[in-house]
Amino acid sequence: MDDRLKETLSAMMDDEADELSVRRLLSQEGQDEVRAQFQSWQQMRDLIQHRHPAVDSIDVSEGVRDVLEGHDRARNQKTVALPPTGKSWLWSAVAMVTLALAVGFSAGTGWDSSPAPSEQSAAAGVPELAIQGMDEQQREQLSRYLLQHAQHNSVSAGHASMGYARAVSASGAGY
Amino acid sequence: MIRNRAARLPVFTALIALALMLVSPGVIAEDKSDDPEYWLQRLGPALTKTSYRGVFVYARGDQVSSMQVAHRYRDGMVEERLVMQDGQIGEIVRKGMNVICVLPALGRMELNNVIPSGPFAEAFTNQLMPVDRWYRPEITGRDRIAGHDVVRLALNARDSLRYSHQLWLEESTGLPLKGKVLSISGDVLEYFHFTSLTISDNLADHEFMVQSEGREVYRTLAPQSSVKPEESMEGWTLGWRPNGFQPAAAPRSGSGQAVAFSDGLASFSVFVEAAAGAGMPSGASKIGATTVYMRRLEKNAEDFLVTVVGEIPLETALKVAQSVDIEDSVVLGARVP
Repeated sequence: MDDRLKETLSAMMDDEADELSVRRLLSQEGQDEVRAQFQSWQQMRDLIQHRHPAVDSIDVSEGVRDVLEGHDRARNQKTVALPPTGKSWLWSAVAMVTLALAVGFSAGTGWDSSPAPSEQSAAAGVPELAIQGMDEQQREQLSRYLLQHAQHNSVSAGHASMGYARAVSASGAGY
Repeated sequence: MIRNRAARLPVFTALIALALMLVSPGVIAEDKSDDPEYWLQRLGPALTKTSYRGVFVYARGDQVSSMQVAHRYRDGMVEERLVMQDGQIGEIVRKGMNVICVLPALGRMELNNVIPSGPFAEAFTNQLMPVDRWYRPEITGRDRIAGHDVVRLALNARDSLRYSHQLWLEESTGLPLKGKVLSISGDVLEYFHFTSLTISDNLADHEFMVQSEGREVYRTLAPQSSVKPEESMEGWTLGWRPNGFQPAAAPRSGSGQAVAFSDGLASFSVFVEAAAGAGMPSGASKIGATTVYMRRLEKNAEDFLVTVVGEIPLETALKVAQSVDIEDSVVLGARVP
C-alpha cells in the first residue's frame, strides 16, 4: 500500500477523507492489507484513548461502500447487526458501533458469532445473555442446564459422539 | 420339433426363475444400500452394538476439541471409555449402568449430567421415530473417513424450525464416523469427525479401565422408568412445540422441572423453576448449534425462570419458551402464599 493510500486511510479514520479518495482506496486490490492497516491503527487509537479494541473483527468496507452509493441498508440493519457474543465488552462494542454508524460506518459483517440470516429476524430485540457477567451461582445454574441437556442429546440417533463432546465441552470455558 | 420347443419352455422359465431367486438377495442388498431408510434403521443398533476404538475431533463455534473413545458391546452390556485429549486430563468409564468419572481438575462437574449415553440412550434408539417426516433423507454419495468406506446421508430439514444434518456412515456397520449440523442457510454450526478408527470385536479389557489418576466418582445409573417425561410437566404446560418433537426424557433439575424433547435427530430441553433471589438474567446466547434462551415469567406474584437449551434455531427456542405457562406455582417450588 503506497503512502497516498495510507494518507487516505488515515484521513478516513478521522472522518476527513473525500469521497473520491475513499472510492480509490476501496477499489484497490489487496483489501486484506487495507483492512489490516485500518485495524492496526484503530487498535492503536483505542489503546491511546483507553478503549477496548472491540473492532478487531469488524469489516467496515461494506458499510462505507453502502454510504458512498447512497444506500441506507446498513442503517436499517443496525438492530440486527449486534449479535450475541457472550463477551463482557459487548456494551462498549455497541457504543463503538453506534459511533461508527453516526460517522457513516457500519458493522454489517465480520462478527464471528452473528446469527444466520434466517435467524436475524428472531434475534432482533432479544437481549444478549451476558454469560461473562454472571456471578458464580448464576453460571453454575446455567452450567447445570447445559450439562443436563448435553446428556439428552447423546440419546439422539446419530449423535452419540456429539453428545459426548457436548457434555464435556459444556463443562469447560466455552460458555 | 415344435412340440419339443413347447415342452422345453417351462423348463427354461423355471431356470430363469431359479436364477433370479439366486441373484435377487444380492440385488436387494444393492438396492438397500442406496435406500436412506435402510441406513436410518441401522443407526440405533450401530451406535450401541458396534465395538470400536478411535479418536474424533469435535468443533462448535470457535472451540475444537479432540477425544479418544473406546466402545464395546459384550454379553448384552455396553462398555465405554472416553478420554479427553486436550487441556486437563479427564476420563469417563462406563460399564453397563456403572459409571466412573475421573476429573482431576473439574471438581464441580456433576457426574449425573456428564454420562455420555445414559439410561435414555437404549430406550430412545429402540423407538421408531419417523425421522423422514421432518427431514428429507437422501444418500448423497460415498466417501472415505479415517480409512473406512462410508455412505453420506443428508437429512435436510423440511421446515425452518430445525437444523439440517449430514452423517457419514461406515458401510459395514452403519456407525456414524462424521456428522455435521447445518443452519438453514447451509453454514456448518458444529461437527464431529473421527480421525482414526478401529472396528474390532477383540478390544482388550484394559481399554475399558480407568487409567489416569485423580479424584474418582462412582455412580450407578438409575433406571429410566423412575420418572416419565409427562410426569415431569406437572405444574406447567407447553403451548407450542415444533411438529415431531416428542417428550424423550425427564432429567433432574434441582427444585424445578425439566423435559427433553426430540424429533429423532435434534433435541431441546425445557427447564422451569421458581426464580430464587436476584435470579438469572433473561436473554439468548448461541454457540455452534446450541441455543440457550432464558425468560422470566410472573405468575401469582411469583417469578419463574423458563430456560430452553437445544440444537434448534433461535426462533424455535423463543417460540417454545414463550409458550410455557405456569399452572401450579407450588409444584414448581414457589413459596406457599
